[in-house]
Amino acid sequence: MKILKFVQVAILAAAFIPQITLASSGAVHPPAQEWGFKGAFGKFDNAAVKRGAQIAVEVCMGCHSFKYIKFESLKQFGYTEAQIVAMAEGQGRTKKDKMLSAMDAISAKESFGIIPPDLSLMTKARKGYENYVYGILTGYLNEGEAELVAKVMEDETVSKSEALELAPVLHVDATHPEHVKHTLERIGNGDNFNKYFPGQFFAMPSPLSDGAVEYADGTESSLKQMSHDVTTFMAWTAEPTMVERKTLGFKVLIYLVFFTIMLYAVKRRIWAKAH
Amino acid sequence: MSKLMEWVDARLPISDMIKSQATEYPTPKNLNYWWNFGSLALFMLIVMIATGLFLAMHYKPDAQQAFDIVEHIMRDVNYGWLLRYLHANGATFFFIIIYVHILRGMYYGSYRAPREILWWIGVIIFFLMMGTGFLGYVLPWGQMSYWGAAVITNLITAVPVVGEDLVVWVWGGFSVGDATLNRFYVLHFLLPLVIFAFVIVHMWALHAVHSNNPDGIDIVDEEKDTLPFHPYFTVKDLYGVGVLLIIYCWFVFFAPNAFLEPDNYIPANPMQTPAHIVPEWYFLPFYAILRSIDFLGSFSKLAGVIAMVGAICILFVLPFLDRSPVRSFRYRPLSRSLFWIFVANAIMLGWIGYNPSDATAFDGALPLIILGRTGTAVYFGYFVMLFIVTAFKIEKPLPLPKSL
Amino acid sequence: MVIEAEENRRDFLILATGAVGVAGTAAAAWPFIRSWSPTADVLAQATTEADLSALAEGQMITIPWQGKPIFIVHRSAEQIAQAKEADSGSLPDPALDKDRVQKEQYLVLLALCTHLGCVPQPIGTGDFGGFLCPCHGSHYDTSGRIRKGPAPKNLPVPYYAFKDDHTVVIGKPV
Repeated sequence: MKILKFVQVAILAAAFIPQITLASSGAVHPPAQEWGFKGAFGKFDNAAVKRGAQIAVEVCMGCHSFKYIKFESLKQFGYTEAQIVAMAEGQGRTKKDKMLSAMDAISAKESFGIIPPDLSLMTKARKGYENYVYGILTGYLNEGEAELVAKVMEDETVSKSEALELAPVLHVDATHPEHVKHTLERIGNGDNFNKYFPGQFFAMPSPLSDGAVEYADGTESSLKQMSHDVTTFMAWTAEPTMVERKTLGFKVLIYLVFFTIMLYAVKRRIWAKAH
Repeated sequence: MSKLMEWVDARLPISDMIKSQATEYPTPKNLNYWWNFGSLALFMLIVMIATGLFLAMHYKPDAQQAFDIVEHIMRDVNYGWLLRYLHANGATFFFIIIYVHILRGMYYGSYRAPREILWWIGVIIFFLMMGTGFLGYVLPWGQMSYWGAAVITNLITAVPVVGEDLVVWVWGGFSVGDATLNRFYVLHFLLPLVIFAFVIVHMWALHAVHSNNPDGIDIVDEEKDTLPFHPYFTVKDLYGVGVLLIIYCWFVFFAPNAFLEPDNYIPANPMQTPAHIVPEWYFLPFYAILRSIDFLGSFSKLAGVIAMVGAICILFVLPFLDRSPVRSFRYRPLSRSLFWIFVANAIMLGWIGYNPSDATAFDGALPLIILGRTGTAVYFGYFVMLFIVTAFKIEKPLPLPKSL
Repeated sequence: MVIEAEENRRDFLILATGAVGVAGTAAAAWPFIRSWSPTADVLAQATTEADLSALAEGQMITIPWQGKPIFIVHRSAEQIAQAKEADSGSLPDPALDKDRVQKEQYLVLLALCTHLGCVPQPIGTGDFGGFLCPCHGSHYDTSGRIRKGPAPKNLPVPYYAFKDDHTVVIGKPV
């Protein structure tokens, strides 16, 4: 009973934990997506991983690597030997090699100013996890938004009404037209606006757009579909042992619950003898 | 068989030892479940040493390789992911258990005479655990590993006069680097064995003075007040281990990264600090105390370090601060209120430690640093107030039961 | 009677719990034991592929397989004839040349001397047109069979399979 009371007090106290405001804010929180591999029963959708691997090889690996994955291991998602050999050759490698981009770090640094990070662990290495990666891929200005920005930029001034119109697109404070103007100027300079990136300007230009790849299985390659697929692939590269872990986990937990109940029964019996 | 045991016992009295110290060891019959946390801590220590040993057979303390090696363990080593997740989450559960164990001792007055030495050894074990936890967190060589090591070792520079030279000595270089990682690995391997040795002394001291109990009164009649450790407490402790394993394994198998920071999956980069660095959760209250001392100008740094270390060291003098004639807070209403304020305050300090130092609460009305300073004052205030209410007999203890 | 039954049930429960506990502890040891087995990246090296299209007649290559050297010789007609000729003679470790090759022209050998494990020298260095082990002077012929010297057995032929005419995969995939 005492513990119950303690829990009650704790819950009450938690309700009073105030909302924290960070001094440095900026980015929009990426919304949560549906991921089939999440949760205790979640498993990877092999067809999605296969499609995602296609995007990874055809698009991402132009600059990025997946250094903890070998081309060969894509076999388990239904790629044939010949397809894998072709994928590897595209990067100047063999099927037994790690999935390293053909672009070397030095030339990458020369072109982009930074070395594109390895993507193997990306979905585990950012706050927001998969939702963040998906957010980045889909967080660039879409066509309509880009047109709106271009239209406002034509006369190089930002009126109050224009600022109001742009504020929800650029996620800036509409009451400060100078903020809107500053953001617009950077977009005009060719910087990559991404609403989900902290700081809003991202080194990588938008990598995907509708129809960027042609899916072998005939799935329509919309931006959302591709982003979802490649993020699923990256979730797999981040932890290929996930399914093994959950499967074993169920067996272990069923055993432990069963065994603990037995121990409790033994404890009750033995303590019944206590004087 | 019995002949063999006779032969051995004549030379080394194992049977007597097992009888008097384990199977028939008299244990207060009214111990509640909070007393399970001692055996749970021992269980976690064994789990940590076992998983750590097997991880060490694959790990390499090399700044160029360490990050990749951890991923090698996660991907290529058979059940390597299980060993690593057991070890990483094991640290969390070890600390949860040890905090409950310490707070149980504080609530039921287990630090009071004649258990002062038992208590001090416990505080030393806690210190060693914090050191081991910190060193272990460096080994994956991710961004949090690296910057955690950088920030914590930089505390050494607060030492007057020799601080700057001392930190270079600790690093074995001009910054945290390969040499640092290598020596941290060796120490991370060594300290758990030192902990193990202290645990043996801890249990020796315990068996010399025997367990305290929820009423905090002495055993009057061993026959009536105690039960043999076996089977009563062996089965109770095992049942506790079962419950612990269910919760622990649930995290290991279904939420293994819940207590890990995403930034530690980015390889260490000495050229770039993560936007928001935090230590492991179990250091957060002390980290908040460290940061709360920021109002003393150039003396702040040293004062912060002193406050942080002092927050643990003050536990050493707790047996002398508490002057009450009664041990257990069950019969000490004022002390009990102070205790719960202390616990709530420690949790609040942890939450403050988790947030960036420039964060504010209530829409900017309350900078967290103010709350942090208050929390630090309340933390140390507990010990002062406990002394005042007991030394000046402000607290009127409730009547104690005659026997268990 | 009632008391006895109660007592029995208690014993059974305790025994059963003990058994379940022992079984669980034993199972928990398995991941630790398994962690010593070769890792996935080591197992990936169980097989080695070699492209023989550029290997001209009379030439040989040495390739690493599971950390050990493999000789692949593209034998000339003369070398094949030499090997077949010796089939009928008395050999220390009798074996027919046709049983030691899959395609007559390609000889694949695990190049560790069966004496004390040195790597023999290339083909043509030994007395029988074959391989000479420099450590203690064992001579192997053009089929890798021991002919002279202290080595007790022929050079072993590893498991291998031709994927196509010019690609050989050495070792069994794990």
